[in-house]
Amino acid sequence: MSVAEAEVKELHLEQPSSLGRDALDRFLHNKAAMVGIVVMLVLVLIAIFAPLIAPYETGQQVGPLDNSSPEGPSSEHWMGLDELGRDQFSRVVFGARLSLLVGLVSVAFGLTFGLILGAVAGYFGSWVETLIMRAMDIMLSIPALLLAIGLVSLLGRGLVQIMIAVGITTIPIFARLLRGSILAQRESDYVLAARSLGVPGRRLLMVHIMPNALAPLIVQATLAMAVAIIDVAGLSFLGLGPSEPGLPEWGKMLADNASRLSQATHLVIFPGAAIVVSVLGLNLIGDGLRESIDPKLRS
Amino acid sequence: MTPLLSVRDLAVQFKTRKSTVRAVNGISFDLEAGETLGIVGESGCGKSVSALAMLGILPRAGRVTSGEVLFEDVDLLKLHDSQLRQIRGNDIAMIFQDPMTSLNPVLTVGRQITEALRKHLRMSKDDAHKEAVTLLERVGIPAAGDRIKDYPHQFSGGMRQRVMIAMAISCKPKILIADEPTTALDVTIQAQILEVLKQLVAEEKMALILITHDLGVVAGTCGRTNVMYAGRFVESAPTRKLFAKPRHPYTLGLLKSVPRLDAARKEKLEPIGGTPLSMTREIEGCAFAPRCIYATEESRTKTPELRRIDSDDHLVACWNPVQEEDMPHFEVVSARDEGVAG
Repeated sequence: MSVAEAEVKELHLEQPSSLGRDALDRFLHNKAAMVGIVVMLVLVLIAIFAPLIAPYETGQQVGPLDNSSPEGPSSEHWMGLDELGRDQFSRVVFGARLSLLVGLVSVAFGLTFGLILGAVAGYFGSWVETLIMRAMDIMLSIPALLLAIGLVSLLGRGLVQIMIAVGITTIPIFARLLRGSILAQRESDYVLAARSLGVPGRRLLMVHIMPNALAPLIVQATLAMAVAIIDVAGLSFLGLGPSEPGLPEWGKMLADNASRLSQATHLVIFPGAAIVVSVLGLNLIGDGLRESIDPKLRS
Repeated sequence: MTPLLSVRDLAVQFKTRKSTVRAVNGISFDLEAGETLGIVGESGCGKSVSALAMLGILPRAGRVTSGEVLFEDVDLLKLHDSQLRQIRGNDIAMIFQDPMTSLNPVLTVGRQITEALRKHLRMSKDDAHKEAVTLLERVGIPAAGDRIKDYPHQFSGGMRQRVMIAMAISCKPKILIADEPTTALDVTIQAQILEVLKQLVAEEKMALILITHDLGVVAGTCGRTNVMYAGRFVESAPTRKLFAKPRHPYTLGLLKSVPRLDAARKEKLEPIGGTPLSMTREIEGCAFAPRCIYATEESRTKTPELRRIDSDDHLVACWNPVQEEDMPHFEVVSARDEGVAG
């Protein structure tokens, strides 16, 4: 091996890691984010293996009907029984499926339309941009939950409709974020350089601008998922939850038992805690992602 | 023979809500195949904007208000964007000032170099890849075959500028526009990059338009130099003549404000007094008049046009050009002329 070859080999060892690897590294070293990851992993596993984990069916009556003081937690029923004598633990476990589904689907819905609208507005500009962005402003001016309530009453109270309604409330957030991000990238030097090479507009947007503009949206999507879970729980709590009877939705379980808070605390605490934990987990991940992706927040 | 590129009376304006900035106020020049042309001037005089306007890639607020850009007798300004895209990168390519931001951070350099090859020359993926490796080798990147898979942040500034050059020359354009290609680099790297540029331009017989504010850069690189001030050319001459006999007071001022190796120690640099006029107003008379010690009554009222002076290839836009006796003796001493490192 010649000297030159040896030098080249050495240079390779000293190569800095890639941009993505750097961000991943920072993310993995963020303790809070790791806690969030573990929490969410556990929740996902619980959701996937719910039928194996839960000792009973969600609708199965395993104890006495007791409207005034349902049975509290015991070694047999870890989270006690509800007023219809159903095993609360099983219901909370199956509730994880619903909440994660709701979070994923509504964010996916909002993200899809938000991305399209934001990209169109950011790239084409002029009156298209004005039209889209003013519409987004109007949507943002209405509090998300209020908007969701309105949409639910418009669309109906099925689970799918609720997910769509909550998804719609997240559209303007994504659209605005992507538009801003695209505006910043659009004027950047590398875009100018690509244009000087004759790269056509659509390719410029999809290949050059979008990948650079998407980072903030990853963070926002994680956080939006937490908000979606809360929103759906909130809707259920307000009595606008999924109309399907017996659906073990955490927010609905809270709402059904809020009046029994003093007699049967366990019926409120466990679903409530489940909501808090899942939202906390997502928020920790979201914050961790933001810190690792955005160099300005690095300490 | 018609020139390769002929710019006639090109003017560019930027409209903002409050005002209109007249960035370029009617410039004209010809570029022959294989010619090297320097455009010098201070920041904001319209050098870069002229180049962007020629390629039709002005920022949104900018508009070409008059003039034509004839490339092989076709007016680029009249072409549809899709037609212009066939020319950009293929016939006319550009290198930008800041190599740190001019490469897309999420794409490998290989992907960025092959983009133009595949689009303009319709190369297959493998051919484009091979060609890209060759290009990287030609611009002096060691282990090009491996480096092609790297991302821009894994390159140093000088190396990135080499990548930019490789991208720009990938389709063997007839004209290469280099917009301050060395400004963001260390002095030693500057020299290397210029050397690479010069070599490639000579090998491929490309015409080069080198935009810079650095007189030293044009001195060693360009056959002809145009001096720009406030969106106009004020002097145009073969570089050697321009340095030897600057006839426009602004050119003289620029030359006097640069330190010289052969000057006596005690000689002081002479700055040009004042600041350039705001370009938001229509300028009456010569734009340089308020800062010019040679200015006459005529300078303040009538705008001077470029006209012949001394010889056919020396043009100056001045009512009262610098006379021989006022001229300090400048001489271009470049490494190429002397055969030694200057």
